[in-house]
Amino acid sequence: MPECQHHWRMANIQFGFIVFEKCFQCSGVRTYFSREGIQILGDEYREGDHFWHRVENAQTFHFDLECTRCGALEPFDDLMGLFYCTGCLEECRLEILRRNLEAQRTHLVLACGFLHESQAEPRQLAVEKLEKLTGYFNQRRDASRSRIAILPFDLDTGFSGCKGEFLHDVGMLSQEPVTSRNSPF
Amino acid sequence: MTIQELIDKIGLKPLNRFGDRVVEGVYISDMVSDVMAGAKSGDLWLTIQTHKSIIPAANLVDVSAIIITGGKEVPAETIDFATKYDIPILASSLPTFGLVGRLYELGVRAKQ
Repeated sequence: MPECQHHWRMANIQFGFIVFEKCFQCSGVRTYFSREGIQILGDEYREGDHFWHRVENAQTFHFDLECTRCGALEPFDDLMGLFYCTGCLEECRLEILRRNLEAQRTHLVLACGFLHESQAEPRQLAVEKLEKLTGYFNQRRDASRSRIAILPFDLDTGFSGCKGEFLHDVGMLSQEPVTSRNSPF
Repeated sequence: MTIQELIDKIGLKPLNRFGDRVVEGVYISDMVSDVMAGAKSGDLWLTIQTHKSIIPAANLVDVSAIIITGGKEVPAETIDFATKYDIPILASSLPTFGLVGRLYELGVRAKQ
């Protein structure tokens, strides 16, 4: 039986928040997806040796990809968000990659996994999964104009030094216009 | 209908240089996450959101153009980003509802 040439669609879409929390004790940062309706910035609570403080909420959504031909399901519950490079550092590896891809009419998007308190960097998503996500966004667009490349977020200089931005909705619960965003890291 | 035809017929103000393109539908949302989940390739995106993140989101889902409604001022950074990503960004003094009426009169419909 020939292997399915998957044609993906988004499935199981759930809207919610990415919550960023910081621990007073160990300075660790963690992120997770929450479907809570009301998000309270500054909320604090103790959990074992940690004393967590909610520092940022960003409205976002979770989804899976489902093949419309064979029904295969690829979950993306480990995706914290998609991230774009703003070209903040000319010599940054990602900026060089972004420029190289741009010359081929391909736009770079980075995928970040969640951050756990014991980690300095977000978890990486498997390249095979990201190829499926890349395939989804490319098969639904006019690829003769340009293409999308979704790669793992992998930065030697560290996450906290990067000024790229997540494709999240920050400040949507506020009446004040969002002009700039500070990294919660 | 193309973006240029809409500009001519509705009096939209282009904020950057762009390559003309056929408009295949309409999507209305002020949330980047909602657009990423729901907009279709070729859609015209109507919003009052002006943060620069709308541009990479529009590019990701391949919208044909973004129209900022209600006469909202668009930051220069957002316009620069739109040019960089080759996303047409247009402005309308009409509120979103009024603009939707004009688009509907011209036969523009949401893509099914």
